[in-house]
Amino acid sequence: MIDQEKIATVLDAAALRSAERRRFLSLVGRGGAAAGGLALLSACGGSSSGSATPTPTPSATSTSSIEAADISILNYALNLEYLSAQYFSWAAQGSGLPSSDTSGTGTPGSVTGGTQVTFADPIVAACAREIARDERAHVEYLRAQLGSAAVAMPAIDISNAFAALGQIAGVASFNPYSSDENFLYGAFILKDVIVTAYKGLAPLVGTPAWIAGVAGILGAESYHGGLIRTLLYQKGFTVTATKFSDARDSLDGSTDLDQGIAGADSSISNVAPVDGNGIVFSRSTGQALNIFFLNKASTTSGGFFPSGVNGTVNASAASG
Amino acid sequence: MTQDERLAGTPGTPPETAGERSDDRRAFFAAAIGAAAIGTGAFLFADPLSAQTITDADVLNFALNLEYLQANYYGYASAGAGLATADTQSGAATPTPGSSVTPGRQATFSDATVAAYAKEMAADQLAQVRFLRTQLATSAVAQPAIDLGYSATSAFSVMAQNAGLVGSGVAFDPYASDANFLLGAFFLQDIAVSAYQGMVSLLTSQSYREAVGGLMATEAYHAALVRTTLYQKSVATPALLDQVNTISNYRDSLDGGSDDDQGISPVGSVANIAPVDSNGNTFPRASGAVLNILFLTRISTTKGGFFPGGVNGNITTSAAS
Repeated sequence: MIDQEKIATVLDAAALRSAERRRFLSLVGRGGAAAGGLALLSACGGSSSGSATPTPTPSATSTSSIEAADISILNYALNLEYLSAQYFSWAAQGSGLPSSDTSGTGTPGSVTGGTQVTFADPIVAACAREIARDERAHVEYLRAQLGSAAVAMPAIDISNAFAALGQIAGVASFNPYSSDENFLYGAFILKDVIVTAYKGLAPLVGTPAWIAGVAGILGAESYHGGLIRTLLYQKGFTVTATKFSDARDSLDGSTDLDQGIAGADSSISNVAPVDGNGIVFSRSTGQALNIFFLNKASTTSGGFFPSGVNGTVNASAASG
Repeated sequence: MTQDERLAGTPGTPPETAGERSDDRRAFFAAAIGAAAIGTGAFLFADPLSAQTITDADVLNFALNLEYLQANYYGYASAGAGLATADTQSGAATPTPGSSVTPGRQATFSDATVAAYAKEMAADQLAQVRFLRTQLATSAVAQPAIDLGYSATSAFSVMAQNAGLVGSGVAFDPYASDANFLLGAFFLQDIAVSAYQGMVSLLTSQSYREAVGGLMATEAYHAALVRTTLYQKSVATPALLDQVNTISNYRDSLDGGSDDDQGISPVGSVANIAPVDSNGNTFPRASGAVLNILFLTRISTTKGGFFPGGVNGNITTSAAS
């Protein structure tokens, strides 16, 4: 049997996740329905991993509660995908998402900044196009899953926000569209945060189909993250990547959840940003928003999202 | 020009190249919904006995077998040594030694960057072995027999012969060069990602779901490292693209009817590092399909290929593909 106490100790982040899950359920309200959801959660959560036949039978209300919470989670993810898709789309092809991909509930916004990169290395250009296409597919996939509940794209800043993060990192006048190298830094800034955010979401999602869907997006985002970090490493761009990694780390709390691409010495790389267990880091929704808002305080707008994100999961954490 | 028109003019958006890509990327999501709806996912296992008794520990032990294989491969390639005995014994009260490994050897790297990648992956895979063994504690399975050799009859050579990468009876030595090491890593790495993704939906513990999601993400970073490096090297050595496709097609031929495996050939001017479907999602593999590939067989059996004595634990059988 698996030692459950050891699980709790080794995976202490899981407690945070559970707390976040409860918060999602309370955010969507529904009183008694939320209580039903929690009962289901404990039945299929961490308390019975050794059980041979964990087959909770959710009531109709608890199922709808789980789904309501999941809608909040997926809408949060959709905000991040809007940002990422706009960056890669503008950089790769000089245009953003079509308006048919950005409508929805909440306050719609427009994109500030974004310019096609004149790529010197055709490999980098081809990879930029691939990621742009995949990110647009993620936007459309999430919107299709959410249907009429999908949030609109909020106001997005992919120009001034990069420069502001550059200032935090000590990189003057940072413009991610001015060269292959700077494009890769911009991609690096966004990608790893999105990977950690999706990993943080993985245990929060309760609807089976969306568990599978979020896992598939996490996989794709991780391939993208690996692609970007590999290109940076191979091109020798380790010093500035570390600066941006440190800037991210300065925003999301005292825990070290971020890594550059340089290894301990030149004999070893650090393409995969992992902990001592060989596992990629997680960020809570609030920690990811700390970085995108460029603010370690608890707030609801700033940085890449100057008017905030749409949906009920919209606040950064108190991380500083 | 509207944004729509601009996007329509780029590769990969409808109508033409998206269709091309979709051909290669299976319409996965409908299947995923079907599988996920099964709940605990017992359906995914070919062995009806196991289907009755699959626990989270069984799933993690299945993962541990895959990690033993990978950790040894990268350990040999980067440092000329596989896992230490302490990392391979059964976790049971009376330790039993891990079975023997047909050893590899330290790879001959000419590109220091590739050597650094190998060293990183060796360290990460070792950490993953130790993480899973710590979690499983006394229920951790011992390392099974693993074939990481490079003779003409080794698992890597049989894989390469069956795939058509080398001729009949010809050895494929994954330790002979940067390119061969990367091709060997390519064979193993995408399987690990899809295997972990398949496990996410099987786990009942939220804690383990998060951990396995993180293990999957690490494997995907590694897989992207391997795929990106092969893609970069294909500029000077175009034949690498065909070699990668040969291996990808072979994997696909082993694991059932759907075309869910992808090489790294660009589609038009668009790269193909991340092997995703039309939704931009990577695809999962069921344990039986994973074992089809590692056993190098499309029939239902319990050993072969890289695991000549089979894998340890309760998930042991390849699918009838």
